[in-house]
Amino acid sequence: MHIPDSFLIPPEICALMYAISLAFLIWSWKKAKATYTRSFAPILAMSSAFVFAAQMINFPIVYGTSGHLVGAIFLAALLGPHMAILGMTIVLMIQALVFADGGLLTFGANVFNMAVIGGISFFIVKPLATHQKTSHFLAGIFAASWLAVILGALACGIEVGFSPLFAEAGGTAVTVPAMLFWHTIIGLIEAIITTTILSQLHRLQPTLLFGITAFRGNPIERKP
Amino acid sequence: MKGNLKTLILILVALAILIPLASNSPDGLEKVAETLQIEEGEPLWKGLMEDYTLPNVENPYLSTLIAGIIGVLLVLAAAYLAGLAITRKDKQQPQSPTEPKKI
Repeated sequence: MHIPDSFLIPPEICALMYAISLAFLIWSWKKAKATYTRSFAPILAMSSAFVFAAQMINFPIVYGTSGHLVGAIFLAALLGPHMAILGMTIVLMIQALVFADGGLLTFGANVFNMAVIGGISFFIVKPLATHQKTSHFLAGIFAASWLAVILGALACGIEVGFSPLFAEAGGTAVTVPAMLFWHTIIGLIEAIITTTILSQLHRLQPTLLFGITAFRGNPIERKP
Repeated sequence: MKGNLKTLILILVALAILIPLASNSPDGLEKVAETLQIEEGEPLWKGLMEDYTLPNVENPYLSTLIAGIIGVLLVLAAAYLAGLAITRKDKQQPQSPTEPKKI
């Protein structure tokens, strides 16, 4: 879902997306500073490194198309939505600067589509996470992961639709349904992978899922 | 610290195993562009390791693997530094990740 510069998104749209993403980053930064102590830095580093590695592995879906994990909900479950936005932004930054995966002008849009939307989508887990039942919050994780990919694809479709290249082919009327079609499937796989990993982590090391415990306001009870 | 090192090794081993299995097909967005017959032009910035390959390593597996390892380490370092910058120093009672504060 990384938009390259060569898709020629108009500069006004790029600037707008930079501004929106920057606002969310500042909000996340402030929230993180108020909530977290230094002891979270290693978890942020390790989970972001995992997300970067996971994003390199494209899985095939159908009709010669592939997808890869975004991982924002995974980060959010471990660290809370605010730190997830910041962690995802670091991953996207290294991808754009070092590997030319995602453009520089489109960086703001990519941060919005994958980091910001991912962090925001995690909030739908909140009402479910307050239930003590594991199945409830795992259902929330599943829904949030799928939603994060779908909303990201929607935003990406709209942004790309403004590009003169895509406008010629029909603009948003074509790009949005096409993006949603592929990402309905990619999102499902994202949801399955994320829920599987998190349910295992929850079983083995429930205290690691700070994003969930923070919503609950009390640590998850370790199973006997 | 020891646990973190284990996790890192686990990530890198998983990467080494999964790279050959990864799909080379276009992803969702690339597929949309392909269907609409939009030619991707030259990128503005080619990065240091475009498309996750090292420019002077011939073996494609090794090339992607080394690029991946470098990437993982770069993200690790950048996220750790960011992690220090966006959190506050532990004052008085150190608050561990196991003692959450309500968001």
